[in-house]
Amino acid sequence: MYNIQIRINAITRAQSVLCRKEERLKNKKRWKVPAFCLAAVLLAASLGGFPPAHRGLYNVLAREDVITLRVCNWEEYIDLGDWDEEERMELDNGVDILGENALYKEFEDWYYETYGKRVQVEYSCFGTNEDLYNQLTLGDTYDLVCPSDYMIMKLMAEGALEPYSEAFFDQEKEENYYQRGVSPYIAQVFAENQIDGESWERYAAGYMWGVTGVLYNPELMTQEEASTWAVFANPDFYRQITLKDNVRDTYFSTLGYLLQERLTEETFINAPDYHERLGELMNDVSPETIRAVEEQLAGIMGNIYALETDSGKADMVTGKIIANYQWSGDAVFAMDQAEEDGVYLEFAVPKECTNLWFDGWVMLKNGIGGDLEKKQAAEAFVNFLSIPENAVRNMYYIGYTSAISGGEDDTVFSYLNWCYGAEEDEEDTVAYPVGYFFSGDNEDEDYVVYTTRDQVGRQLYTQYPSREVISRAAVMWYFNEEETRNINQMWINIRCLDVREIPLWCVLLTLCVLAAVAAAVILHKKNHYYE
Amino acid sequence: MGVFRFTRKQLCIPYAVFLLCFVAAPLLVIIYYAFTNGEGQFTLKNLTGFFTSPYTIGTLAYSFAIAVVTTCVCLLLAYPIAYILARSQWRQKSVIVLMFVMPMWINFTLRITALKEILTVLEGNLAFHPFLNTIIGMTYDFLPFMILPMYTTLLKLDKSLLEAAADLGAGPVQVFCKVTLPLSVPGIISGVVMVFLPSMTNYVVLDMLYNSTYIMGSLIGSFFSAYDWHNGSMIALILLLIILVFTLITDRYAEEDAGNRGGALL
Repeated sequence: MYNIQIRINAITRAQSVLCRKEERLKNKKRWKVPAFCLAAVLLAASLGGFPPAHRGLYNVLAREDVITLRVCNWEEYIDLGDWDEEERMELDNGVDILGENALYKEFEDWYYETYGKRVQVEYSCFGTNEDLYNQLTLGDTYDLVCPSDYMIMKLMAEGALEPYSEAFFDQEKEENYYQRGVSPYIAQVFAENQIDGESWERYAAGYMWGVTGVLYNPELMTQEEASTWAVFANPDFYRQITLKDNVRDTYFSTLGYLLQERLTEETFINAPDYHERLGELMNDVSPETIRAVEEQLAGIMGNIYALETDSGKADMVTGKIIANYQWSGDAVFAMDQAEEDGVYLEFAVPKECTNLWFDGWVMLKNGIGGDLEKKQAAEAFVNFLSIPENAVRNMYYIGYTSAISGGEDDTVFSYLNWCYGAEEDEEDTVAYPVGYFFSGDNEDEDYVVYTTRDQVGRQLYTQYPSREVISRAAVMWYFNEEETRNINQMWINIRCLDVREIPLWCVLLTLCVLAAVAAAVILHKKNHYYE
Repeated sequence: MGVFRFTRKQLCIPYAVFLLCFVAAPLLVIIYYAFTNGEGQFTLKNLTGFFTSPYTIGTLAYSFAIAVVTTCVCLLLAYPIAYILARSQWRQKSVIVLMFVMPMWINFTLRITALKEILTVLEGNLAFHPFLNTIIGMTYDFLPFMILPMYTTLLKLDKSLLEAAADLGAGPVQVFCKVTLPLSVPGIISGVVMVFLPSMTNYVVLDMLYNSTYIMGSLIGSFFSAYDWHNGSMIALILLLIILVFTLITDRYAEEDAGNRGGALL
């Protein structure tokens, strides 16, 4: 009867203990008595639910030479194929794209064709970064996972990650699609940022990326009003905007509002070390700053509609709210959905700063366990997803922005034109340069999308933010143990009812009611004895 | 060699194993976490921390408030319906009962989503009445659990007792107060238990109806997202104890009352 969440968590724990035990058993005695294994499997199935049993059974039956790759990704974060024929995409560069099967299934065939070895992908999903982390600490083992920036940093700092091999970085090799195709911008971010003296690129390969901002209804809010983190405190939109039910995002946007003046000062923006200082300011989690944010956030909470996790997109369409905090990928998805209902939404990136986020593939030490074949297969999986056609398939399916620009291959850019390019007879077009992402040079005339005027501020701008937006983007770092505790305490202070705030009449009323009930019960009993 | 003899007792083994793995073992894990700190040492800090923080106590009060109000509203709504239904001579009353049960066949998140739209039409902006919305949502969700046990108890009520009371000169109000109501107490209590307990922890309703204030369930979740198993487990344990105490009290009262009444009436 106790809370369902803790019950499920405890069950997971019990399950993983069972599962580990079964695996140990299997490793020791596989050659000896297969029947014993089967019994163990059946026992595990009856005790621990199906997944571990399935794994065990598979290993008993499978041939020895199959590599098993355990991949854990966000839900709905890979193309699952099964497209209709009319969804076939014919890009300008002559590439034809149609998703037939799930990408992780197609990988198995591709791997066999490319390397002549069999691989079997065990694909599973996680809901939040914290869930994934908890799963890992509870003993679940995966070889390749796709957490967000700060979780990658946390895992890296804890020494849980396996570095990519030398061979993975060799740009000469044809099948190294990631290194040959990753966007110069993303590659630069990954090379510049370090944890304990080691840059991210050694441990992580970018998958999807974006910024955060405000998705708003332009009929009810101007672009100027939406382009600031102060919008959440704007009394004109009292109870009409949502924030994310997520402490990191809320902290970032509130801090951006708190530091508004400083962040928009000319001298600050034009300083030579602007970027470093922006990063420092937006990652300030000192107790004093947390207190200041808490105070500010308490005020904001009285002005917003609510905190939401996933309902914001639908609520924009139904008109419950007129703006919400959004990650760029979800914003694209929301705009597409709203368009189908005849509602046109726009995305604004606050003038103070924005949070540059990304999800990346990392290998786990305890999953790979020194198995070089497995490591190679994991790297091949990343490379397979980085094949420009596959990157486009993912983008089309998920709506997020791939970290892959394609290098010499222009499939990704063609996809951009296919999505947003203006028709040839269109007269009122705007040039939208995206060279910073594709070639590293925003002046590059090869990478300019000519689009209709109404696209500015909409999907194209959201999916590929302009150079100017990117210049004020800051990565948000992971919090260490103490910082996590402080921030969580702040969050609890904001979310929980403070017992000291309960008005006196409420307490008195409750006491009266309790006294009345007690009196009634006692009287009732007394009467009863007289009978 | 002894022949394997099948006895009825052995049918319990699957459930015993289930109980051991998924009730006893997780509970032990929770107790372990609740009384240890990050280094695995025994500590009572999680316990004292809970009772000294104004925010956790406030959350407890808020959860209680929601649960109590929901239970009262459900009781007030359900008793007359159950009473009328049970007493009516209408043959098709099982159809009506079915109508009350039917919403339970639809997934509750779906129902709450629909409720959200209805409430928006009625209120305009849901953000102004989070507490009221939560109560409506919870009541909507748990009402069948209140109606059903009361309906069954009232249905089983021996009508000759009512007739006897009337024959001995009691008016309808007196009959209700002195006979029907006391005899339906077991039904009321099981209804109250079935509504009160889940409404203290069901935070999905709050999330979906935009009530951003934490209740006990979501508070536990927030500790888990901050990788703090210890405080989260402690809160879960405290919640478990509160529920246990509540169940013991209601059970005892129900038994005592049923016993006494039965004796008095005979």
